[in-house]
Amino acid sequence: MSYLGRSIKRVDGLGKVTGRTPYTPDLVLPGMVHAYPVFSNIPFGRITAIDLAAIKEAPGFIAIILAADIPGENQVGVIVHDQPLLADEVVRYVGDTIGLVVAETAAIAHALAELVQVKYEEYEPVLSMEAGRAGRGRLLHESNVACSHRSVRGDVEAGFSSSDLVVEGTFTTPHQEHFYLEPQSCLAIPEPEGGITIHGSLQCPYYVQRAVGGALGMSLARVRVVAAPLGGAFGGKEDVPSELCARAAVAAMLVGRPVKMVYDRRDDVQMTSKRHPFEMHYKVGVNRDGRLLAADVLLESNAGAYATLSSVVSYRAAIQALGPYRVENVRAISRAYYTNLPPSGAFRGFGAPQVCFGHERIMDHIAAELGIDPVELRLMNLIKPGDITSSGQRLDNCAGAEKTLTKARSTSGWLKRLPAGAGRYREGWGVATCLYGNGLGAAGWRMDGAGARLQLLRDGSLEVAYGLTDMGQGAITVVAQMSAEAVGVELSQVRVLPTDTANVPDSGPSVASRNVVLTGNAIRDAAEDLRKEMTSAAGQLLKCPPEQVEIEAGRVRDLQSGREIPLAELAEQMFVTNRSMGALGWWHAPPLDFDADRGQGEAYFAYSFAAQIARVKVDTVTGLVEVLKVWAAHDLGKAINVAGVEGQVEGAVSQAMGWALTEDLRMTDGRVDTVNFSTYLLPTFTDMAAVETIIIEEPEPLGPWGARGVGEPAIIPVAAAIANAVSDALGVPVDDLPITPEKVLALLDKADNGGLGTGTTAIGSHG
Amino acid sequence: MMRLSGEPAYFDLEVTVNGRPYRRTVTTHRRLLDFLREELLLTGTKESCGEGECGSCTVLMNGLAVNCCLVLAVEAQGAEIVTIEGLAQGGTLNAVQQAFMDCHAVQCGYCIPGMILAAGQLLESQPRPSRQEIESALVGNICRCTGYHKIVDAVEQAAGGGA
Repeated sequence: MSYLGRSIKRVDGLGKVTGRTPYTPDLVLPGMVHAYPVFSNIPFGRITAIDLAAIKEAPGFIAIILAADIPGENQVGVIVHDQPLLADEVVRYVGDTIGLVVAETAAIAHALAELVQVKYEEYEPVLSMEAGRAGRGRLLHESNVACSHRSVRGDVEAGFSSSDLVVEGTFTTPHQEHFYLEPQSCLAIPEPEGGITIHGSLQCPYYVQRAVGGALGMSLARVRVVAAPLGGAFGGKEDVPSELCARAAVAAMLVGRPVKMVYDRRDDVQMTSKRHPFEMHYKVGVNRDGRLLAADVLLESNAGAYATLSSVVSYRAAIQALGPYRVENVRAISRAYYTNLPPSGAFRGFGAPQVCFGHERIMDHIAAELGIDPVELRLMNLIKPGDITSSGQRLDNCAGAEKTLTKARSTSGWLKRLPAGAGRYREGWGVATCLYGNGLGAAGWRMDGAGARLQLLRDGSLEVAYGLTDMGQGAITVVAQMSAEAVGVELSQVRVLPTDTANVPDSGPSVASRNVVLTGNAIRDAAEDLRKEMTSAAGQLLKCPPEQVEIEAGRVRDLQSGREIPLAELAEQMFVTNRSMGALGWWHAPPLDFDADRGQGEAYFAYSFAAQIARVKVDTVTGLVEVLKVWAAHDLGKAINVAGVEGQVEGAVSQAMGWALTEDLRMTDGRVDTVNFSTYLLPTFTDMAAVETIIIEEPEPLGPWGARGVGEPAIIPVAAAIANAVSDALGVPVDDLPITPEKVLALLDKADNGGLGTGTTAIGSHG
Repeated sequence: MMRLSGEPAYFDLEVTVNGRPYRRTVTTHRRLLDFLREELLLTGTKESCGEGECGSCTVLMNGLAVNCCLVLAVEAQGAEIVTIEGLAQGGTLNAVQQAFMDCHAVQCGYCIPGMILAAGQLLESQPRPSRQEIESALVGNICRCTGYHKIVDAVEQAAGGGA
C-alpha cells in the first residue's frame, strides 16, 4: 500500500504553476480560424428570417453555419431528442444557438455574430416553474413535463394514521451557475483523410464523440475526441460541450480549417446549463419518539428549455428523497417542467444537494416539534447494516452513515454548543447527513463500465490511459497512484495520458463520482494480466517460480532467496522475449434489480455516506451570515490521496456556501441579469469557512482497495447544514435558499411580528 | 469588442516582458491580455471574466499586480511586465510556485497563474503576512475549486521559505 492513503502531490501540478498547461483557449494551430455563436435574444418564438447582409462583406468573415449546413442529424439531446443542434424553426430560450459565424479572428467572429439580424414571431414565454407546471398556453415540447419519477413503498396513508405527529414543509432551492473559471471552449480539426479531431474542455469525451458523429453523419471511428486539461467543470462540461463541439465540427468540415470557439463569460452564463431549481414539499409522519413512519414527498424542478440530463437528476432526487433514513411508507414523486429558461443540466450532486436540503430541513422541523436533539433524531432513523433504504434496497455496507454522524458530533463539540443568544450576533449550529448512490444507477447500469490501458515500456516505466477525465478534481493523480500500486512500479515512473477516445473503449461519462471505483477497478483488471507476464518473466530471470516473485515500487524480488533485479531489467527481458507488455482492463458495475414503475430496488451499486456540522454567526443588523466552520465527515471507503480528499471537501464547502448564501442568479424575461462575478457572488478568500475534513474508511466491497469517490458527496450536505445552523441562530425556519441578508432580515421581521414558524407544521391527532 | 467601422489607430509599443524587450505595432484598442496571449503566445495568463473581477489574468506591471484584461497594451509603453512564464529561473520554480505544488493548492489550475503572481507581489511588500492578511490581499482572485485554504497554506509556506 505504499502509494495509497497518503498525500501525493498532483502529477499535473508543474504545468499549472508554470503556466505551461495547454488549456483549450490556449491552443493555436496553423490555419486556425475562429467561431462564435449567433444565439436567440428572445425566450420563445419562431424564426421568420435571418438577415446576413451586415456580415457577408465584412473583412475577416469566412462563413456562417446554419441548421441547413449540418450534414447529419440536427439533434444534440443526450437522453431525450428534444434539442436541435442549431435552431431552425423555434427558439426556446435566450441563448438558443441558431448559427456559428466563422472568421479570421475571435474578435471578428464575435462582433459579426452580434450583427446577424434574426427576425422572430414571438410567443408568450414560460418564465417560471409555476408557469411550466400550469402548462397553459403554448408548450415548448409535446408535454410541459420534461420527465417524472417515483419511488413508492408501503402504505403512506396508513403510516400517517399511525403517526403521533405529521410535519409538513416546503423547501426551495435556486439555480446555480457552475462558474468554472475556464469558459466553454473547443477546437475542431478536420483531418486530411476526412475524419475530425476535437480538443476541448469537456468531461465526457464519448458523449462528444457521439454528438459529433451524429451531426456530421460520420462513423465514430473517424471522430477522435481529446479532453484537454480542464479549467473546472463541476458538471457544467458534461452535456454542454457536445453542443459546442458538434457545431464547431460542422464549421470545421465546411471551411476545411481548424475552428476554435471560446465563449465569453457573459454568454457562457446566459447560454449554458445550471443546477436545477427545486421546489420540494415534504409531509412526514413520526411517532412520539421521533421514528419516521411515513413520508409523502413532491419534488418539482425547473428543467429549462431542453431536457438534457433532467431525467438523471429527477431519478436521483426521487431515490434519495429521504436520504439515509429508514422509512417504510414512502411516496416520493419527482417531476421536471420545461420553461423558456437556460436548460438545467448536470451539476455536482445531480439533484442530491437539493433533496438533502429538503430531508434535512424537515428533520430539523421534526426535531424542533418534538424537542429532540437534531443529531439524536437522525441517529435514531439512520439506516444500519441489513436495513432497507426508503427506495427499497437492502444495504449491508452502510455503517458509515452512523459513523460519520457520531464522529462529526464528537469532533465538532456539538454537545457543548451554546445557545444562540439574543444579541446582535447570534451563533447557530446545524447538522446534515446524506447518502449518495455511486455510478449511473439502475437506469444506466448497462452503460456503467469503464476502461484503463496499461503499457509497460522497455525501461520499466508505465504508460496509463483511462477513459474518464480530470477536470481539476485530481483524477489523473489517483489514476497514477492506483496504477503504480497495482503494477508495482515507482510512482515517478508512471505517466498518465490525456484522455482520448482513441485510447480505451467507450467508458461513459466522467460523472457521478465514478472515477475512483470504475477506473481503479479497470486498472486492477489490466494489472492482473500485465503482472502475470511480469512475474512469469521474472521467474525465468530469477530462476524461481512466478508465485515467489514480488514486484513492488520498481523492485523485483525472489521472496525466498531475496535476490533482486531492477524493474528496468525485467521490462527489457520481457521485450526481447516477445512478451505482451500491454493490457486493457475493464470494469462494469454489477447488474441492478430495480422496479422502475415503483422506483424500488437496487437503485445504485454502492452508496457513500456523509455527515456535516456547520457553525454560523448571523449579524441581525445587516442580515449577513458568516459560516465559522464546517466539520465534514465522509465515509469514502479508502482515501487514495488524502490531500486530494481534503481539497475536494474544502472546494465543495466553498461551492455550496455560495449556493446557500450568496449565489443569487437573477433573470428578467429569460435573460440572466447576474452574468458576471460582480453580480453573481462567489465565495472569496475572506468569506470562506474553516473546514475540518474527517475521513471515515468503511471499506467498499466493490471499490478498488475498498475506495469510493468523494467529489459529489462532499457538496451534498453543506447547504442544508448551513440552513439548519441559521435556523438555529435565528429561531426561525429558513426554508429557502440562498439565505441572503435581505431574507435574513425579512425572517427576523416576521419573527418579531409573531409569525414564527407557523404554517409549516401540523400536529396530527392520531396515536 | 473590436470596432468594425473606422480606421484603427496604431501605436509602436515598446515593452519588456519577462526581462526581454519587445517592439511591436499594436492597435490602440488592443488589451494587454490579448497582446501577451496572442502576439507573444504567453498563454499562461488566463482570461476568465474579462471584466477585472476574477484575477485570472493577473500579471505584474512595474512590480504591481494588475488585471491585464483592463489594461490596454499601449498603457504598458515602457513598462516591465512579468507573467507566470517569467517566474521559474533555469527550470527552478520560485518559492511561491514550489509552495503551491507542495501544499496541494492547485486543482483545475486556471486561477493559479494569477494567484501566484498576486501572492508574489504580496510577499514583496509584506514578507511575513498573517493568514488574514493573505486572505485580504488575494480577495480579488477567485478560485472555484479549492476553497482557498490550501492556497493560504502555500503562501504561508512561501513566506516562511527563506527562514
